[in-house]
Amino acid sequence: MSSRIMVIDDEKIVGDMAKISLEEEGYEVETFLNADPALKRLQETGFDVVVTDLKMKGIDGLEVLRTVKQNHPDTKVIMITAFADLDVAIEAIKGDVFDFFPKPVRIKELKASISKALSKED
Amino acid sequence: MTTLRHKMRSLMGRYSGRREAGSVDVRSAFVSYKKIMDDNDRALEIITDMGEKTSGSYLFDVVYIRNAYADLTKSVRISLKDFNQLTGGHYPGIQSAYEKIDARIDALISGTTRPLERLSIRFDDISPGMAREVGGKSYHLAEIRNRLGLEAPDGFALTIFAFEEFIRHNRLGESISALDSDGDQLENRRSLRQRILRGSLPPSLEKELSESLDWLRGRCGECRLAIRSSAEEEDGFFSFAGQFETILNVSAEVPAVEDAYRRVIASLFSDEAMEYQQRFGYRPGSLRMAVGCVAMVDAVASGVIYTADPLDGNRDVAIINSAWGLGPSVVEGSTEADRFVVGKRPPFEVAERILGKKKTMTSARAEDGVEEMESADDLRHAFSLGPKELEAITREALSIEDYYHGPQDIEWAVNRAGSVVILQSRPLRIKEIQRDETVAAPVLERRLLMKNQGSVVQPGAVGGRVFLASTPEALDDFPRDAILVARSDSPQFARVMPYASAIITDSGNTASHMASISREFRVPTVVNTGNATRVLEPGVEITLQAGEDGGMTVYEGIAREIIDEQHDTFLKLEELYEFRRRKYLMKCISPLNLVDPFTDDFTPDNCRTIHDILRFIHEKSMRELIEASRHAERGPSLKRLDLPFMDNIHALDIGAGLTADAGDVFTVDQVVSVPFRAVLSGMSYPGAWRKGGVPISLSDFFTASMRAGPMLENVDINLAVISHFYMNLAVRFGYHYNVIDCFASPRAASNHIYFRFLGGAADLSKRLRRIEMLAIILDHLGFVSKAKGDLITATTTNISQEEAVRILDQVGRLMAFIRQLDAILTSDAIVKEFAQRFIDGDYDLFGEASL
Repeated sequence: MSSRIMVIDDEKIVGDMAKISLEEEGYEVETFLNADPALKRLQETGFDVVVTDLKMKGIDGLEVLRTVKQNHPDTKVIMITAFADLDVAIEAIKGDVFDFFPKPVRIKELKASISKALSKED
Repeated sequence: MTTLRHKMRSLMGRYSGRREAGSVDVRSAFVSYKKIMDDNDRALEIITDMGEKTSGSYLFDVVYIRNAYADLTKSVRISLKDFNQLTGGHYPGIQSAYEKIDARIDALISGTTRPLERLSIRFDDISPGMAREVGGKSYHLAEIRNRLGLEAPDGFALTIFAFEEFIRHNRLGESISALDSDGDQLENRRSLRQRILRGSLPPSLEKELSESLDWLRGRCGECRLAIRSSAEEEDGFFSFAGQFETILNVSAEVPAVEDAYRRVIASLFSDEAMEYQQRFGYRPGSLRMAVGCVAMVDAVASGVIYTADPLDGNRDVAIINSAWGLGPSVVEGSTEADRFVVGKRPPFEVAERILGKKKTMTSARAEDGVEEMESADDLRHAFSLGPKELEAITREALSIEDYYHGPQDIEWAVNRAGSVVILQSRPLRIKEIQRDETVAAPVLERRLLMKNQGSVVQPGAVGGRVFLASTPEALDDFPRDAILVARSDSPQFARVMPYASAIITDSGNTASHMASISREFRVPTVVNTGNATRVLEPGVEITLQAGEDGGMTVYEGIAREIIDEQHDTFLKLEELYEFRRRKYLMKCISPLNLVDPFTDDFTPDNCRTIHDILRFIHEKSMRELIEASRHAERGPSLKRLDLPFMDNIHALDIGAGLTADAGDVFTVDQVVSVPFRAVLSGMSYPGAWRKGGVPISLSDFFTASMRAGPMLENVDINLAVISHFYMNLAVRFGYHYNVIDCFASPRAASNHIYFRFLGGAADLSKRLRRIEMLAIILDHLGFVSKAKGDLITATTTNISQEEAVRILDQVGRLMAFIRQLDAILTSDAIVKEFAQRFIDGDYDLFGEASL
């Protein structure tokens, strides 16, 4: 079974690019433009890693982090954001975020972080 | 850089005692020149960073693009302001050239177009660059008529602006935005389509349409029209084959065309077209639709020619599918067409000829519309094309392939007069040839359901449950990963293609719209099997093995042992519309078209990118400085350095850089400037300067031309601004650009060397290797270097004069050594080896005689 990755970002290009690059690594990837349907999908089926944007309309990345940690404690959350601000980073770390990247994110680094997240799981 | 400027000013001050009338302007000109160079450096750094971030190695969003471009804009505007000051506003054109480029980039970033442009354009008037306005399909047709001179129907385009006017007039903007929301999309699309069909033409559009129709009737008499979709990007990177409506046989009157126009633009929002767009990365509702109004051809036979075999990628043959009557029979896959395989070289030998059953044919009705009817017996048994027509179609197709530099999928018709008319051309997707592929079909202990029936459209081995599509509505319940089995092929299947494992049909042909889409989605597909719907039962698990050799097998059950383990990643980056759009944005920013300052083309009008603007500013600033020095009465003047291997280094001595007796042409011996002397001594070190350039490969030359226009070497003036302890040397060898800025005085604390290198002619991987090699060497020399894309900057400070001289001597050798070296840096291993050899003082890489 290949590992399952969820990507949530309100810009389509980010999700699409992430999907293409992560599928190259053999992961199964599902992308969402906002958090609401993504969290619903999480209730239906499990994911190993959730990569989420921080600033989104409606439910934001921190809320995603809290919900995931509450309901699926084994799922790792990686946060990406264009607004790399320290306060949010601190709050994210408190919320047990696995990793945190400012955009633009080097895809190689994101892949490395996901692979680390998955190996910790084993 | 600020400290550098500060240093420059103090440097000027140091020689203030020698300042004489006339020379003041030169010095202040140099300060301005230096500042402009700093602004330009900053701008080039941003451009390099943007290129890197949008290269596909980063996840980036629009916020990044906006911010980076805002930074770039700031640098360029400052540079322009300083430039205007330096040149006394002598080049007003550069400001407006910049504004034009900036407006284009701005529109690309925000996704807006200019408010009101031409609503209708005749095919005769479609010129290069209008693809976005008239849509891909009409654009290509016009190109084939206007530029290739082939016979193609007359007509006109209702543009993207007409579409926007229609949307505005009928207040549909909100409904389109809603397509990108969380609501019920099936319902949103349905209601949008209905509102379009009920909509009315804005008066301006109705007037233009009426005039265009009058004009067209004047050209072709009482002709009938085909109203064809021509969406943005249609027949471009993706075909959108059969996704949008084409209405055939429409009378050339406003009400009939208006009705057809509405139907065509409504089809932009059909369920299958929307699935297709989203799958390929288009934001829902972002695509716009132009429409072509084209005179119908009274066709005896029509069909499709592929200028390569899409199945195995063979470029030596063309494949023609042909049927009697109008085109839909072939492209909708409704009839079994005749198939010809024709050699692409004279005498265009027909290698294969298969008579299709051609049970039905499409004809124009007396009133509007077309009908499909049974074909007469004698027609069924006769080939729809003879040798003469086959040759004519092949010849025309080859000239189109030649023009577009790639395999094409071309629709054509043969009219009553027997001549070939081209109806459409789009890129053909062919399988990339993989040489190491071995196709060994394993023997299986499984029940065989089908063997070698039909024609393979897209090869592959997949398993899944059979889903029988009896009606189009049935597709609503299509389960993920099922195998779609249907009686005939249909472009409507695009709707489920992203989820289908495979497609198998009873009838249909390999040149249909669906076939094009199957290839784009890379869904294994076999058509025309005759009996799939009878043999394959709904809900049963099967495995399809479709080979590149055209053979196919269907087994019962899921045969995991033969299923392709890793099917292609569905999309590649270049296939994402948004990704391409941002790449396109970079095309307005980073390529350098303005290379040769000695041609008449070196004007603001010819600046097509921000890089061109910077290049123009740089060149003219340097000239300004040179002019200033020429007109200075007794101040510094420009002198040419007499070097045996390079005759275009000029020096501007701003204070004790040359001996007093140095004339208009001076020798190395007359150089007093400490840093300049050191660099020159390195450059002329025996063996460092290779005699000829390294032979450049054709592909590298192509890359270079794409980046920078025609190949030029040593045509620029390379300028050294020097004083006793200072040197600013800017050298351009063909495509790379090297700057050394140095202060080497007896006081170590105020000394520095700054090294900057950008560009090259070879392809990116080789250029990056050269940067890597430079980084190794520069680090070895004690620099702190920073590389970004094909730009490297390196600095070292607080060095004694002796140390500076030693390093500059090495830098001089390095400048000679790396000239065009990128072209031979073919592997990563060579990088380290060459770097080491340079460090060891071994410059004779090829064992050939050098200087």
